[in-house]
Amino acid sequence: MERDYWVTNRKVFLREMAGGGAIHQLLRRKLQPQPQASALLSSVFSKRGHDGSSSAYTNYFRSFALVGAGVSGFLSFGTVASADEAEHGLECPNYPWPHKGILSSYDHASIRRGHQVYQQVCASCHSMSLISYRDLVGVAYTEEEVKAMAAEIEVEDGPNDEGEMFTRPGKLSDRFPQPYANESAARFANGGAYPPDLSLITKARHNGQNYVFALLTGYRDPPAGVAIRDGLHYNPYFPGGAIAMPKMLIDGAVEYEDGTPATEAQMGKDVVTFLSWAAEPEMEERKLMGFKWIFVLSLALLQAAYYRRLRWSVLKSRKLVLDVVN
Amino acid sequence: MADEEPVDPKKYLEELCKPKCVKPLLEYKTSQENEVAFVFLWVQACVKRIEGDESGHKHCTGQYFDYWHCIDKCVATKLFEKLK
Repeated sequence: MERDYWVTNRKVFLREMAGGGAIHQLLRRKLQPQPQASALLSSVFSKRGHDGSSSAYTNYFRSFALVGAGVSGFLSFGTVASADEAEHGLECPNYPWPHKGILSSYDHASIRRGHQVYQQVCASCHSMSLISYRDLVGVAYTEEEVKAMAAEIEVEDGPNDEGEMFTRPGKLSDRFPQPYANESAARFANGGAYPPDLSLITKARHNGQNYVFALLTGYRDPPAGVAIRDGLHYNPYFPGGAIAMPKMLIDGAVEYEDGTPATEAQMGKDVVTFLSWAAEPEMEERKLMGFKWIFVLSLALLQAAYYRRLRWSVLKSRKLVLDVVN
Repeated sequence: MADEEPVDPKKYLEELCKPKCVKPLLEYKTSQENEVAFVFLWVQACVKRIEGDESGHKHCTGQYFDYWHCIDKCVATKLFEKLK
């Protein structure tokens, strides 16, 4: 009988889950059968007897299974914590980026230097396929400079009038060149690991800007007891600790046009500023718009609040007189 | 290239910050120095503890992380002043 089924099984389920004497006493009283069972209950008790009722034996086995599941879950929870640290990576510190403030703009000189670092150090493996040369105009370079930069690369175009594809020098409208033809080629050239596209990397990672800076400048010797296999490198900030990319930012690797000393930290800062701009080119406009509209809406809020109170004052200043006549 | 080798400010600051994360409990100070006063000593103790281990399962990642987290916090406040 259906009523008995739910009452019986709910009692067993609750008894095992609670496991306490007080709950046991509660259950001794007659329970109201709940017609709408939870999904958990229905999934656990999906097995029924052939006539729809449950015997004592099936009840016993079900409760046993529940206890077993609970115990094994509890035990596995204990061992998870020890693997957690390396799994999530070392928490990266928060650096005081010059563009972090509510009205702060990018350091455009830093974007320019960062693009130089990207071109000379990173572009051999990492694509930035969402950025075009024209995006750099007015941000880090003049139009002539960007045109000259674009003209250095060869781009496949076509078909021409004869139906053939041809190569031509790059133009402003072309995207940044890709180092590999496709993902498989990239993996093959990098020991199975795919160097991710960097167009949105600071938005695609938690606490992206700080994470990328910490990662690039954080290559260290592994702790005692940790061995990294050949082909991988230890980086505490990388989840799991073993990253395929070797340390790329070495002091003096790049000669900055403006003469800034190219230390590892300087290159890291500049390249992360460049990547932040690449992921959020609209940031400066967004902050300006945000400031303007929050100001306007605050004024509007004051006006609206005044007007509401004005209109409601009629009702709010009503007086009710209780006139009791004996 | 400049004549002198540029000294990476991050490495330089990390060296400066290392003593802060070694301070023994005796010198009781407030805030972050106190909080991780003897982290480096923990790291050393852990290394010694697992020196003889052959199973390959023991490691000092936890202590290592605590130590470097302490240094990172110390470096992060000062690093960008040294960069252009």
